[in-house]
Amino acid sequence: MGKKRRSPTLEEVLARPWCYYCERDFDDLKILISHQKAKHFKCERCGRRLNTAGGLSVHMSQVHKEQLTAVDNALSNRSSLDVEIFGMEGVPEDVIQSHNQRVIAQFQQSEAERQAITGNPPSGASTATGQPAKKPKVENISDLKKRLAEHKAKKAESRAGGSSGEATPVGAGQTPTTAGFTQPPTIAAPTQPFSYPQPYGGAGSPYQATASPVYPNFSPGQPQYPPPTQYSTPGYSPQPVPGFGNTPSQFPQQQPQINSLQTTFAPRSGSLPSAPSLPQRPAVGAPQVNAYQLQQMHMGHPLPTTAVPGVANGEKPEPTAFSSSVDDLISGAAKQADLAAAATPKPAEGAEEKPSKKDKSKQSRLVYSDNETSPEEKMAKLPRYAFVPDRRGETALQELPPSVVVGQVPISEATVMPDP
Amino acid sequence: MTSNQFTITSPPTDAISALKFSHAPDSTRFVVSSWDKNVYVYDLRDENGVAGEGKLLQKFEHRAPVLDVCFGATEDEIFTAGLDWDVKRIDIASSSQTVLSSHDAGVRSVVYSKEHNMVISASWDNTLHVHRLADDRTVTNTASIPLPSKPFSMSLTATKLVVGMASRALHIYDLKSLSLLTGQAEGGTAPAKVEIEPWQRRESSLKFMTRCVACMPDDAGYASSSIEGRVAVEWFDPSAESQARKYAFKCHRQASDDVDVVYPVNSLAFHPVHGTFASGGGDGVVALWDGIAKRRIRQYQRYPSSIAAVGFSSNGKYLAIAISPGYEDGKDDVVDGTVKIYVRELGETEAKGKGAK
Repeated sequence: MGKKRRSPTLEEVLARPWCYYCERDFDDLKILISHQKAKHFKCERCGRRLNTAGGLSVHMSQVHKEQLTAVDNALSNRSSLDVEIFGMEGVPEDVIQSHNQRVIAQFQQSEAERQAITGNPPSGASTATGQPAKKPKVENISDLKKRLAEHKAKKAESRAGGSSGEATPVGAGQTPTTAGFTQPPTIAAPTQPFSYPQPYGGAGSPYQATASPVYPNFSPGQPQYPPPTQYSTPGYSPQPVPGFGNTPSQFPQQQPQINSLQTTFAPRSGSLPSAPSLPQRPAVGAPQVNAYQLQQMHMGHPLPTTAVPGVANGEKPEPTAFSSSVDDLISGAAKQADLAAAATPKPAEGAEEKPSKKDKSKQSRLVYSDNETSPEEKMAKLPRYAFVPDRRGETALQELPPSVVVGQVPISEATVMPDP
Repeated sequence: MTSNQFTITSPPTDAISALKFSHAPDSTRFVVSSWDKNVYVYDLRDENGVAGEGKLLQKFEHRAPVLDVCFGATEDEIFTAGLDWDVKRIDIASSSQTVLSSHDAGVRSVVYSKEHNMVISASWDNTLHVHRLADDRTVTNTASIPLPSKPFSMSLTATKLVVGMASRALHIYDLKSLSLLTGQAEGGTAPAKVEIEPWQRRESSLKFMTRCVACMPDDAGYASSSIEGRVAVEWFDPSAESQARKYAFKCHRQASDDVDVVYPVNSLAFHPVHGTFASGGGDGVVALWDGIAKRRIRQYQRYPSSIAAVGFSSNGKYLAIAISPGYEDGKDDVVDGTVKIYVRELGETEAKGKGAK
């Protein structure tokens, strides 16, 4: 654990706010919002920074009479104006999911690399070397108990009415204490093929605890995996992440994530088996799936569209539906308020700006503040510019001494300097 | 940026008061008046008529600092005005100088109307002198017109004369009636006093002292600037619709630590072809504006000191920019080498308005 403390945990990495338009992540929400204002919502004509793409669109059409067609500096598939984004709000659920998957994959890969470099085999690497892990005891008791409870609940549920238990043989002897499931942070080396339970490790992930009870039913390590060539990924929105999904081992690793998110949607999914007697059900709400679907899921695909249409189709789920999953990010009320503000940014900002302009003019300082005497007159009074008419000769102007010339603009002496 | 910029060799040794290009078609000659008591005549063409880096043709010393200069009917005739109270005609070819008239104080501005063959000068003695010239370039008669305040700037079109004065007063004279009325006055160097009501009396649209006025080349209106970083654009037509079009905008300001530092707008010049205008400020910035579309066309990089004067050549291909240390609050010394004249060779569309969008 000491090692893990040094680098951010998966939890921390996942909690980082990130930009919908360019997938960059930031330390906190404020920085993300200022990033979006500077990079994606800035008017290229006048440099004004708007709060949302919609606001920028209105600004462009009203102020510059131009039509905004795409968000600047955005990834090609994210440049649409249809999605109203402000900070992390408004990001479609499917995009959040795929982002999280990518983050997890990256995290695990970097973790694996780090371990490869440091030479410390991950505690879960035992399966790769064929040895049972020595570290099961590292997982603390409360976690174990929790998972056992969940597993039991799951079993009870499948016995009660779930068909999934019948469709796939329950892994005999796969109790929650089995090495594969009790292994704390197990990181598959990128080159590893699907290797039985190991991919489901990653105890550092909060998702692991809720997701793992599902797996006994899937009987990991089943021999009848279809060859990878059959993969088709209907549910994934295209990810501009190079290398994503290239290594087969990553698919199983992502699976916990998928399932954990699906559990979040449990209330929406009509096909879920009802298990009224079980309080923990939301955490283990495995959808009813047939064998093929299970296989697909196991291969790393999300549920077929029939099971969780909102997610798999890439539709944007209604905010109320997933509010529970993002409630730590935003409260519903705040969101409504922000949306309302975003919808009518123009008058509000205009009203704010006018007083500030007036304030500015109050604070302005004139470089030349004499409102009565022009700079030329002042210069003309300087001794070195004094005109001596004597040089003119003996003509009539001689009666005028130079002082008269210099004093031609005497008003300035009495002038009160106007203070700006 | 397509334009290329160069500095003129042998600039004045003291602050520049005015810079004017010749109105003769395709002439690249310009005159500069300076506080070092000289008027400098430069030409961008060399002996073979090829436009180049420009050189000093001649300089004419005066007895006192020269505050304004303008070209006459040809590029060989200039009129000067200065602190020696005189209004002078100088023939460049023969280097002969003639005093047209003398004011009772320093003469701030001088302009020439080729349509009416008149030289008009404005002096801090609160008068205008209108000199009607004969074809042999001698003064046939001179009239003195009292002004309500000290004049600070003057500009004319083919038909109108705009005089910007202290106390934010502004007079617009009709040149034709000016010519007729002063024609009845007696000639000579002692001007006859003539009370002439201006065609329009206006109060400046700007709250602070008028620094410069410049008329549109299409005779439709004028722009004025103030010491408080602002430019107003107005139209001659007194009808309500035209007057409703007038506007003013802020410019030549710098924000530093919550305080807006506001510089005077020392100079304005209209582009003779495109009708856009340039403004030069105490901040050393020259900006080009489209007064009709109300848009800034471009702003050039800051010059090392205050802009004293700007001017377009008659074909609109050159923009001359004279810089001098500004006479600002608590600053009155001119350091050597800070007075410069830059000439920008403008690209085809560099000063052209973008058009309303």
